[in-house]
Amino acid sequence: MKDQITMALAGNPNAGKTTLFNQLTGARQHVGNYPGITVDHKEGRFSHTGREISLTDLPGTYSLTAYSVEELVARDYLVNAKPQVVINIVDASNLERNLYLTCQFLELGVPMVIALNMIDVAKDRGIEVKADRLATLLGIPVVPIIARTGLGKNRLIDEAIAVASDSRRNWQPLDISYGDDLDETIMSLMTEIDQKGFLTDIYPSRFTAIKYLENDDQIMARGRTAKPAVAETIESLVSQVSGHLVKTMDVFPEAIIADHRYGFIKSIIRQGVLTHKFDTDRLYASDRIDKIVTNRLLGPIIMLTVLFGVYKLTFSWSELPVSWLGSFISWFGDVVSHNLPDGLFKSMITSGIIHGAGGVLGFVPLIMFMFFGIAILEDSGYLARVAFMMDRIFRIFGLHGSSVMPFIISGGIAGGCAVPGVLATRTLRSPKERLATLLTVPFMNCGAKLPVLALLIGAFFSENKARYMFFFTVLTWVVALLSAKFFRSTVLRGEPTPFVMELPPYRFPTLQGLLIHTWERTWQYIKKAGSVILGISVLIWAMMTFPGLSPDRIAAFDQQRKAVKAGFPADIISETEGKKTAGSEQAARLAEQLSIIDGDQAEEALRNSAAGRLGIAFESVSRYAGFDWRTNIALIGGFAAKEVIVSTLGTAYSMGKVDSKESASLGQRLRQDPHWNKGVALAALLFIMFYSPCFITIICIAREASWKWAFFSMVFNTVFAFVMAVGVYQIGRLSGLG
Amino acid sequence: MTFKQLNHTYCCFAGKVRKCLRTGRNDAEKIMPLSKIGHHGRKRICKITGDRKLCARMASLGFHPGEEVELLCRENDSRCILKIQGGTVSLDNTASNNILVQSIE
Repeated sequence: MKDQITMALAGNPNAGKTTLFNQLTGARQHVGNYPGITVDHKEGRFSHTGREISLTDLPGTYSLTAYSVEELVARDYLVNAKPQVVINIVDASNLERNLYLTCQFLELGVPMVIALNMIDVAKDRGIEVKADRLATLLGIPVVPIIARTGLGKNRLIDEAIAVASDSRRNWQPLDISYGDDLDETIMSLMTEIDQKGFLTDIYPSRFTAIKYLENDDQIMARGRTAKPAVAETIESLVSQVSGHLVKTMDVFPEAIIADHRYGFIKSIIRQGVLTHKFDTDRLYASDRIDKIVTNRLLGPIIMLTVLFGVYKLTFSWSELPVSWLGSFISWFGDVVSHNLPDGLFKSMITSGIIHGAGGVLGFVPLIMFMFFGIAILEDSGYLARVAFMMDRIFRIFGLHGSSVMPFIISGGIAGGCAVPGVLATRTLRSPKERLATLLTVPFMNCGAKLPVLALLIGAFFSENKARYMFFFTVLTWVVALLSAKFFRSTVLRGEPTPFVMELPPYRFPTLQGLLIHTWERTWQYIKKAGSVILGISVLIWAMMTFPGLSPDRIAAFDQQRKAVKAGFPADIISETEGKKTAGSEQAARLAEQLSIIDGDQAEEALRNSAAGRLGIAFESVSRYAGFDWRTNIALIGGFAAKEVIVSTLGTAYSMGKVDSKESASLGQRLRQDPHWNKGVALAALLFIMFYSPCFITIICIAREASWKWAFFSMVFNTVFAFVMAVGVYQIGRLSGLG
Repeated sequence: MTFKQLNHTYCCFAGKVRKCLRTGRNDAEKIMPLSKIGHHGRKRICKITGDRKLCARMASLGFHPGEEVELLCRENDSRCILKIQGGTVSLDNTASNNILVQSIE
C-alpha cells in the first residue's frame, strides 16, 4: 500500500515492547515478565489518523553487536527491512542502561522516536526524567508513555509519523567520539571501507568500522564473504590496535568504546535530564523478596514447594471438570452411535472423531489449570528467579541457566510444547549449549503427553495421581539433564558460557493477564486438537478400517452367528435384536455369544487393516517392552503428534468392541484388557515420555540446527526410550508387577 | 604509544582504572573479584576481566569501570544478584570472578 508506514519497536528486554505492540495493534501477543519471550520479530497493522501503519515487534536486546540471536534478529531486520521509523522503548526507571542501545541506534542512523516507558514506576522510585530536555540533547522526539495503560500512545504515533514523513531525518548516523586514537583508527577504517565499497550497501561505514573494533562475528564473517582482501586489510588494522591496547592497558577496544558511550550518556543525563528524589541505593520490595526467595537454603525449598503446589492445585482442581467433560463426550458418543445407521460413516464419526479427537479435548480443563499455574509464575517474575537458582544445577550438566525457560516452555512444569521450547533456545549464546538444550527439551512432558500420562496414571496408579505426576515430571528432568551431560561430554564438548541475566521486578499478576495467557495456550491446544489431531485421527481410523475383512471371512462370521442363533427359539432371537439389554436368561446367553463373535470379527478386521498389519509387524520387537500391536498403532501415530496416542488407543480399543454396548472410559477398558497391567503401563509411560519428538518438533529442530541433528534426535530418543521401556517391563515382569 | 599517551587519550577510562588501583592499596578499600566479597552493600566496579565477549556483554548491561553496584544476594559458590543502574542482574561465578570491585562503604 502506498500510504503505509513501516515502524519497528525496539529496546531492552522487559522494557515493554510487546505490551505497547498489543496496545497499538490490538493483538494478543504473549507478554511475559521474563526476558527473552520475544525471540523473533512479529508484525501487526493498525491505522492512526487515516494512515495505515505496519508495526514490527523486535526481540529485546542490550546492544547491536551480535552476541546473541535476538541481537542478530533485531539488527538484521533494521538493516534489511529499513523501517521508516524505529520506536525505541526506553525504561524510564533504568534510563542510563537503556540509552546504551539508543546510542547504537543513533550510530546506525535509524530514524527514531524514543518512547519513555514506565514513567509511573520511575515516579514511584523518585526518578524524574525531563523528556523535553532529553529530546533537545539527543535531537530526536521523546514521548513519555505508560504502555500498560496506553497513556501517551497517540502522541507517540503522531511523532513517529512525523519522523517517518521527514526525509531529512532518514538514516543519518551520529558520530560519538571514542578518543583521539580510536577515532583516528575509525577514520582510516572508514576511508578503506568507503573507497572499496565494503558492505556499504548494508551498513554505514562508521558503523562497520566500530563493529570491526568490537569484534562482531557476524559482520566480520559477512565481510570475509563479500570482499576477502579488504576484510583482511581491515582485520589486520584492527588487530594492530587491539593488540596494542591489550599490551598497554589490558583492555580490548570494545571496553573503551563502551566507556565512551556511557560517557556520552552521562554527559546527556547530567544536563538536567534525570533527578533522583530518593537515595539511589534504596532497596525496593522486589529486592527484599529476592533476599528471601533466592537464599541458598530457603530458595530451593520455596521453589520445590511452589512447583509441587502448582501440581497439587492443577490435579485436584481439574479432576471434576475433566470427569464432567469425559462423561459428556461418552454420552455424546452414545447418542450419536444410537442415532446413526450402522456402517462406515457411523464408525468414522464414533471411532475416528468422537473417541479420537474427543479423547484429546477431554483433557482441556487439566491443561487449562496447568497453564494458569505457569502464567502466575511467569507474570509474577518468579520464573526468572527459578532460572537463576537452577543455573547452579544446570551448570553441572553442561547447560546454562537460560536453558530453564526452553525446558519450562517445553513442559518442565508439565503442559508446555516442545515447538516454542525449541525456538526459545535462541536466547542461548553458546551454539553447543544451545544444541544440547535443543536436543533435550523434547524429553519434557509437553501438553500432548499430559493426557497420556493422566490416562495411564489414572488407570493403573490412581492412588496418588498428583504424586505420580510429580514423580514423572522429576524423572523427565533427570533424564533430560543426564542426556545433556552425555551430549556435552561427547558430541557437544566445549567450555560453558557465563550466566548473566537481568531479573524482572516482581509484579502482582493481573487476572486479565493470567486469563489471556492461559487462554492463548489452551486455545493453541484446542486448535491443534480440532485441526491436525482431527485429521490424523480420521487418517488413522481409515488405516484401522481398510482394507477390512474379505467377503469370505465376513460370510464365515455370519455363518457362526446363524449357527448360534439356530440353537435358540425365534422369540428369544427377536427379543435380543434391537435391545440394549436382554430380558430373559436365554436371551442374555444368546446376546453374550453373539457379542463374542462380533468382538472376534472386529478384532480380526483391525488386525487385517493397514494399521493393524503395521502394528503386528513391529510386535516381534515391541513385545520385549510389553506392547501389543494395538499399542504399536498408537505409538506410530504419536510420531505425527503425541496427542494422537490417546485418540488412537481410544479408536483401537473402541473398534475392537464396536458392538459391546459398553461406553466404559478408555482407562477402564485398558485396565480390563489382558494385555495391559502395571508393568506395561509403566513401560508405555516411559517410552511415550522419551521417544522421538513429534513431526512438527523435528521440523523445528531441523530449522534451528540441521536435518542431521533432527534425525539424530529421532533415532537417539527412540532407541533410548525403547531400551528403558524394555528394562522396566522385564524387571516388572520378573518382580511380579505384571 | 606509551601508557602516558594512552592515559592522556583515554583519560576517562584509564583514569577510572588507575584511581581504583591507587586507592586499592589501602586494605580497607582492597580491590577483589565480586565473587570474593564477603558482605553485601555498595561496590564500585574497577575492572572487567576475562573473555572478550563477556566483557562486551557486561558493558551492554551497564557493567563498566566506575559504575556503582549494590550486592543484594551472594551465595557460597560465588553466584550473586546485584542492582545496577536501577536494574537487577544475576551473575554466575564465572561472571562474578571477572568483575573487580572495591567497597565504597
